[in-house]
Amino acid sequence: MEIKSFMQKLSSHKGITEVGLIRKSVVKFNLEKEGSKDFFIRLKDDFGFEHCSLISAIDNQPQFELVYHFSAINGSVFVKDSSAAVMAEIHIFLERDTPTVDSISDLWFGANWHEREAFDLMGIYFIGHPDLRRVLLPEGFAGHPLRKDYVYEIHEEEW
Amino acid sequence: MWISMGPQHPMTHGLWTLKVKVDGETIVDADPELGYLHRSVEKMGERRKYFMNTTLTDRLCYASSTTWTHCYALSVEELMDVEVPQRAQYIRTIMLELQRLASHLMWAGAYMPDLGHITGALYFWRDRELFLNLLELPSGSRLLYNYIRIGGVKRDLPDGFEEKTERILKLFEQRLDEYADLFENSKIFRMRTEDVGKFTASQAQNLGITGPNLRGCGTKFDLREHDTYEIYEEIDWEIQTREAGPGYGDCFSRYMVRIDEMRESISIIRDCFKKMPSGPTMASNVPVRATGEAFRRTEDPRGEALMYVVGDGSDRPYRWKIKSPMFTTISACPYYLKGYKVADIPAIMGSIDICIGETDK
Amino acid sequence: MDMSSKRIRGNPNLRKGLGSKTTDSDKIMEDPPAGDWLALRSDQLLKWIDDAVYNVAETTGMREVVDRVTRPIFNYAQRFSPHPLHFGIMCCAIEMGQASAPDHDIDRLGLVYRSSPRQCDVLIVNGPVCEKLRPKLKTLYEQMPEPKWVIAMGECAISGGPYWDSYSVVAGADTFMPVDVYIPGCPVRPEALMHGFLTLQKKIREKEPGMFLRR
Repeated sequence: MEIKSFMQKLSSHKGITEVGLIRKSVVKFNLEKEGSKDFFIRLKDDFGFEHCSLISAIDNQPQFELVYHFSAINGSVFVKDSSAAVMAEIHIFLERDTPTVDSISDLWFGANWHEREAFDLMGIYFIGHPDLRRVLLPEGFAGHPLRKDYVYEIHEEEW
Repeated sequence: MWISMGPQHPMTHGLWTLKVKVDGETIVDADPELGYLHRSVEKMGERRKYFMNTTLTDRLCYASSTTWTHCYALSVEELMDVEVPQRAQYIRTIMLELQRLASHLMWAGAYMPDLGHITGALYFWRDRELFLNLLELPSGSRLLYNYIRIGGVKRDLPDGFEEKTERILKLFEQRLDEYADLFENSKIFRMRTEDVGKFTASQAQNLGITGPNLRGCGTKFDLREHDTYEIYEEIDWEIQTREAGPGYGDCFSRYMVRIDEMRESISIIRDCFKKMPSGPTMASNVPVRATGEAFRRTEDPRGEALMYVVGDGSDRPYRWKIKSPMFTTISACPYYLKGYKVADIPAIMGSIDICIGETDK
Repeated sequence: MDMSSKRIRGNPNLRKGLGSKTTDSDKIMEDPPAGDWLALRSDQLLKWIDDAVYNVAETTGMREVVDRVTRPIFNYAQRFSPHPLHFGIMCCAIEMGQASAPDHDIDRLGLVYRSSPRQCDVLIVNGPVCEKLRPKLKTLYEQMPEPKWVIAMGECAISGGPYWDSYSVVAGADTFMPVDVYIPGCPVRPEALMHGFLTLQKKIREKEPGMFLRR
């Protein structure tokens, strides 16, 4: 289906607060935290976005922001007169004292390690993730380094 | 029984641990572990200004460093709304394709000793040396170039670059025909790589696998066409795919996709030289501060590279996220290792083309 | 913008002594009783051989004779066959691999890469050492038998390099193991790596006793 009708169909879903178009082939959504899993199930099954590209975590003091990127490889959603693959960018905002959200790793296996990394470096908990532990840092590491209030020492060489 | 192929192992190209659970000789489960090379590039990027981060992005994937600097430059140019001049776009494309050749040759030279064919490493790395010398001429360095900057390229191509490139490409094409006879007609190579490490295209898309690994299953998806950047729309080229059977790919089809991509890169470089205009090589008004957010994705020799940059009005990035194709491909290794023997592990993991520098950030 | 990080001066005490003999690994294993040589580490085995054989040779005067004959031969053998470990961390490892390619051919200096640390002489540290890697690298170093040397290849191994302000990179390999040769560069050219090995040869010729019986 064409990208404009895809935008219209999904903007009436419960929880969507804002819809926009970036660069003619990327659709941007702002989503509420509650019931986000239904939106993702609809995105995958009804519209064919089978590739999870990236899950990023941003620390906008004082709240957290999660940005999901998906792409439709097989062309189920397309742009007219162009061979560009359509992408969906979804923003979810979380409070600082309850950074939890539903995990999507049972829908896309590619999201599994991205969620582990968001937990490792930013401290966001994904409910329902099969194996949520640190992936890049050693196991005994304390703290979540990419938060803006993480303090660490920088050693300067004495010449 | 769990066997650990630890960080120091000649098979793992890079530092990571692969633990496999075996039942006799057959693999039943796998558990990869990363993080031995985590240098916290994203946090360091927040302390440096936008243009200083090109030295960090070079060192992300050391086998193909131009593509990561290019991905970063594209996303920051989108953030700052900078237009790159035409000549700079052609020069960037030439450097990217030369880098793709060097990266695939590095992979092939490291893959052959895994299968026991140690002489193969010598052949491929001898040719890689030719391309490193070519890449050294505009930028000054063999491996970590820092040549692509935000807004264009650092300086114009030197005199005589086109003739030297043409001479080396002609020599390399003859050698590729030699290698086709040496490797593809070798019965032992075919036996070790055919019907090994199979996965279907739909499985691969859900697991997050992109790049030549996905094109080895027959899917025609290449970001140079489907999310185009630079001047790939103005050049005649084709996406190379290969299937081992209806909708699935094995190690041999992934090998053939990369060899075909090398041939395609040669023709792209020749086309670029014919069509390149003259003009400036750097945008004239690159701003220092930026606000907003932007992302771009490019076709790394290993898959889909994506960079997401957030600016808050100052001259340093507020948040910078790097997506590496190998991060998800390594996480999916239980799926394509199950059912094969322990001796197949080097053949399968070698055909995936791992570079740990970009996964561990 | 608050960077939320502090700068402190480097610890000068770490530089002295170069952390070669870590006190905690010495405390882990006690000296085994004499005769139980299966439980000895490589330096403890040599110490046992020293006490049993060396003292006898010293008192009878045989040591001088054996020294004069064997020292040049063994030193020559050590200099021209350093076997490095097949271990690559980051970009300098690619240049290390490219150095064994036909164009530069570092194999003519006698280098044969071995996969197991128990068969190696030289450990080349060619990249930044992270907190997660540090104990494994120390284990690899301790598994190598004497005599052994360490080459710090590239800026990351010398002092942390471009990652000096990272929270997870150790400031140089010589904070936890003794380093013999430092090769600057980012990345190190293959010619510079060859020069580094020639420097190591010079060091072995002057410093190592190369005796059959060593103290």
